[in-house]
Amino acid sequence: MRIEFQQVTHSFGSTNALESISCRLASGRTTLLVGHNGSGKSTFLKLMNGILKPSSGRIWLGEVMTSEYRLSQIASMCALSFQNPDDQIFASNVEKEIRFGISNTGRDGSLFLPLVETLHLKDALSQNPFEMNYAMRRLVSIAGTAAMNTPIIAFDEPTAGLSMREKNYFGQLVSLLKELGKTIVIVTHDLDFMLQWADDLLMLSRGQIQYCGSRDAFFGSARARPVIRNCGLRIPNYLRLSRALGTAQPCFSASELVDGLIGKKGEPAPP
Amino acid sequence: MALISFENFSFCYSATAVPALQNLDLQIERKETVVVSGLSGSGKSTLCLAAADLLGSFPAAAATGRLHRQSDPSGGGPRTAIVMQNFYAQISYLRTTVFEEVAFGCENLGMEREEIIRRAGEAMTATRISHLADRNPLELSGGEKQKVVLASALAQRPEILILDEPLSQLDPESVHYLSEVLAHLRGKMSIIIAENDPYLTLSVADRIIILADGTKIADGKLEEILSEEAETHIDLPAWTKCVQRARRHGIIRDSTVKESYILNYKQALETLMSLK
Repeated sequence: MRIEFQQVTHSFGSTNALESISCRLASGRTTLLVGHNGSGKSTFLKLMNGILKPSSGRIWLGEVMTSEYRLSQIASMCALSFQNPDDQIFASNVEKEIRFGISNTGRDGSLFLPLVETLHLKDALSQNPFEMNYAMRRLVSIAGTAAMNTPIIAFDEPTAGLSMREKNYFGQLVSLLKELGKTIVIVTHDLDFMLQWADDLLMLSRGQIQYCGSRDAFFGSARARPVIRNCGLRIPNYLRLSRALGTAQPCFSASELVDGLIGKKGEPAPP
Repeated sequence: MALISFENFSFCYSATAVPALQNLDLQIERKETVVVSGLSGSGKSTLCLAAADLLGSFPAAAATGRLHRQSDPSGGGPRTAIVMQNFYAQISYLRTTVFEEVAFGCENLGMEREEIIRRAGEAMTATRISHLADRNPLELSGGEKQKVVLASALAQRPEILILDEPLSQLDPESVHYLSEVLAHLRGKMSIIIAENDPYLTLSVADRIIILADGTKIADGKLEEILSEEAETHIDLPAWTKCVQRARRHGIIRDSTVKESYILNYKQALETLMSLK
């Protein structure tokens, strides 16, 4: 399902979090939403799923203009996993938490099992999420969101505070959702980890769009460097390495870089 | 004597069956910077809370062994500031501007007004939030709130600074800047940082401790403690991971490179260059 913002402004009191932004995210693509702290990323996500209504401008999800629908109606199109999992979790056990959205909206629950397996939550289903560590609570909140099986799924800093093990679980989840044709929007600062799954980038600075379009076109362009600096980012490490090594294609992960370098692309990764 | 010492220390929260820390032996010296790494659930946050003497506020099913924090001559414990994993919970809700929020901790320590103003200003500069001084802390973004809590801790100039994943919500430019701030504080106070970011470890840590299931499995300089086992518990710099991957493909021939982990960017690049 496509997402379109038309001249959207959103203010908190006298502060404009987003200023007259327009962009289009195509259906079935995975977009990384990046920018410095306070650039408007979380506000963008909350506008997208209708928690916030724009001060002015229009937002379309598919053929639906969000301002004409209730939050509960938009919830069946777009699910959002919050920046702070503790703002989201409330159920007394993990299974209830993950199933809540499904049972509440009467949506198809077929994603429940694959999600629980991908995120390795199977043994935790009867546990109380409030007694689990932060990373587990984060995975539970991610699972509860994805379980809604909506055409659009958004994650706000999903890998923050996760160790490599859980980050990899999340990466596998993104692969799964991509296969299902979901439109995915991920707010992240962790470009080294997330870029390998991205089709597109949406880059914000001080409430304005600096770039919206394909990942590969961005890193191939001369604009990349100044825009990266403007958005509070740094050149991703794998890209820096692949440039220094002069690889044919820009690389965004250790496997792309090394396997490409030694001509073993496509072979299964060694353990 | 060490500033903080854990002797055969175990702690189990009342709500869980598995201990969060198990038979931990650990000394942290005065003015030492220690990074605590390990997988989620390995006990990093509990170690931070213990070092800050905050575990007493949790009902414990069992706590055994000894945790000693060296007192100063006046008898009080060492002055400690902590930025918790859930820093959202640390915003006071009692102050309406960022400046006042950052100054709040110093006010409670009973400092002179001029000193408080100076310190709050410096801490806001160090965390790059000076431009937010007049904003309401409750209306800031997640990353900005994390910087406010960090600034409040820095302003107190504690003897022990404890940071539990202090970079989790920060943009890469802020992470870079804060690493420099921490590198600058190194040697001026004891700093304990629970963090899996390998770049931070490389730039500030005197030593790294790896926890697994509440137990210490490694303690030393990063280059000394790396092993195949350690690698499954911590993250490594991108270039080190590339060299490790090439090694697993069995294509690094240079025997001098074979055994050791390459943590240096230039050296890793040269090694990868030789594969072309």
